Amino acid sequence: MKLGTVRPIPIAVGLAFVATVIALVSTSTSREGVALCVALDVAIACGAVLSLPRFKSSHPVVFRAALTLLGLDVALFVTYYFPSSTNFNLSTGAAMSIVLLGLSFLTGASGQISLGNGAFMGVGAFVMAIWANHHTTTPIVITLLIAVACGALVGLLLGLPATRLRGPYLAGMTLAFAVAFTFILATFSSWTGGDSGLQLPTAVTAPRWLDGFFAAGTPPLKTTTLYLTDFTILVAGVAFFFMANLFASRTGRSMRLIRDNDVAAELVGVSLPRTRVVAFIVSSAYAALGGALLTLIDNSVSPPTYSFALSVTILSLIVIGGIGTISGALIGGVIYAFSTNVISWITTQTGLNPQGNLASQLNGIIFGGLLIVTMIFAPFGISGAVRHLWHRLRARSPG
Amino acid sequence: MDPFLTSRIVTDVLGGLTNGVTYGLVALSLVLIWRSTGILNFAQGAMPMFATYVGFALLSYHFGYWPCVVACVIAAVLIGGLTERLLVRRLYGKPEINPIVVMVGFLIVLEAVAAAIWSSTPRSLPSPFSLIHWQLAGRPFALSPFTVYEIATALVVMLAVAMLFRFTNLGLQLRASALAPEVSRLLGVRVGRLLTLGWMLSTAVGVITTILVSANFFSGLTPTVMDGIFAYGFIAAAIGGLESPVGAVVAGVLLGVVNQFVTDFVNQNAVIIIALAILVVSLMVRPSGVFTKSTQRRV
Repeated sequence: MKLGTVRPIPIAVGLAFVATVIALVSTSTSREGVALCVALDVAIACGAVLSLPRFKSSHPVVFRAALTLLGLDVALFVTYYFPSSTNFNLSTGAAMSIVLLGLSFLTGASGQISLGNGAFMGVGAFVMAIWANHHTTTPIVITLLIAVACGALVGLLLGLPATRLRGPYLAGMTLAFAVAFTFILATFSSWTGGDSGLQLPTAVTAPRWLDGFFAAGTPPLKTTTLYLTDFTILVAGVAFFFMANLFASRTGRSMRLIRDNDVAAELVGVSLPRTRVVAFIVSSAYAALGGALLTLIDNSVSPPTYSFALSVTILSLIVIGGIGTISGALIGGVIYAFSTNVISWITTQTGLNPQGNLASQLNGIIFGGLLIVTMIFAPFGISGAVRHLWHRLRARSPG
Repeated sequence: MDPFLTSRIVTDVLGGLTNGVTYGLVALSLVLIWRSTGILNFAQGAMPMFATYVGFALLSYHFGYWPCVVACVIAAVLIGGLTERLLVRRLYGKPEINPIVVMVGFLIVLEAVAAAIWSSTPRSLPSPFSLIHWQLAGRPFALSPFTVYEIATALVVMLAVAMLFRFTNLGLQLRASALAPEVSRLLGVRVGRLLTLGWMLSTAVGVITTILVSANFFSGLTPTVMDGIFAYGFIAAAIGGLESPVGAVVAGVLLGVVNQFVTDFVNQNAVIIIALAILVVSLMVRPSGVFTKSTQRRV
């Protein structure tokens, strides 16, 4: 073996041993100690796998799995120490990042854009609430899958004409759907609960076998929030892992070809209508998943949440994060999680009257302005700008 | 037995026409921009809304209705021209989602700024004619002096746009620069200037629509007054074909009538759902619009 070659596996085993000892010695209760050392060991193992030379190209799926696991490990670990309010923000951000991922995929992979993803979120959210009210015994995961399936079905319905459409027609049509959605909810008010919306029959709590981590000695409100946050982050992790693989798959590649040159795509045998419909269905299914999770987090769902404004917020977030990228969805989710806090901070810092006209419109002015500025000066958002800077730095430094 | 003129059917048709002409005008202004720049202007409702607020600010200086209307049109022309020069010009030749995103952003900014300046409580505009419906033999008739004015104005605007494009040198240049910008440029047409002019014209058509719509009792002028009408205008333009001004106007008027029947015979909430269904079906049957001649464009 050449000198200077990093040997990750032995180093990792050593580090893991040290970490375990430190964790067991330094923590007071055995349960916390176990949690800490599991978290550390998983992180070290993932880090070791990720740093294997040429691993990314030889085992791409395992590489992505390790990356996801590392992210989940760190995220779940830190939520344990965060206050409930931060965790609540994080959980909405995680749910939103799933929606953003769907839209990012649709645009990045097929060059189309949807202005109706807020309404698809609403489909998921309301299906979740309606099903949970009518079948109280169904496990959450099954209900989530049902919500996703309904989102995909509505996506198929609206996506069918999209197969034959170019350019702004799809955007306009999805806009019409987003505007129509609140009226659709009102029409079926016996199911959707009319103006007041629906309440979930029971709050989601941790299953019994996890009681040790979520119920020990902490007040119930905090444990519920913590469990929901961790659950949402876990689902988001799975969603990101699937999407990363889809992006790299044959389907993902043919979609990018369609985006770049649809005529060439047809010539090499990519079926345009099928690929476009698939992209649209995936994006609406992801939106529905995000919406359903949001219902779980809020423990209720109300129609005004899913107005056209939400679709516009989704568009802004993904454009600012970086449309067509996976990291952009993550960035957008983080922005969403803390945007309310940041905007109220700006309001207090500038001394605006919080009940005044300007303060109440600050959200729209900032997000709309960022949307324009980003699209004109950095079309791939924060993610694209960072990548651009990174490449410039790499090109400048020798080696 | 109802007398014919006040029967339910006639009432619905006339009421539908009144709404339909406004959808037609919005659709027309969308088509004007689409044909010349290939951009679907999602701020087509918000830009005129802003101009209307600016123009009717003169009310507080004791000006009457007509000076305000003139001020609105001037404001609209300025906003349209500035938007094209400062914002849209950077978007030509970019991927097609870029202008969509930027115009959606512009829509949000305009609505938020308008609400920040003038608040989002509805503001009632004066109307030059009575809004009270006529009575025929003791029964309400579908029209009022104001709705007649509304329909007549819309028709005049549509005719004027048609005449401009068909019979004037300027219209010829506008059509030429939309159809073949490179050739027109070679032949000495100042394409850039004409694109600006196209946006001015389209916003001016939009501001007349906004004034007509927001002088209504029910809505009044709000920052979001044009949202719903924009959605119907887009649906009409898409059904009629974004390439065809006549198709867009006809589809808008028909959509207005259909909506009125749905409101009357089903309910208010079903209107946009039915309109969406019509849009989906018509796009599946004729993706490029019902009224456009098919052009060869694979994919």
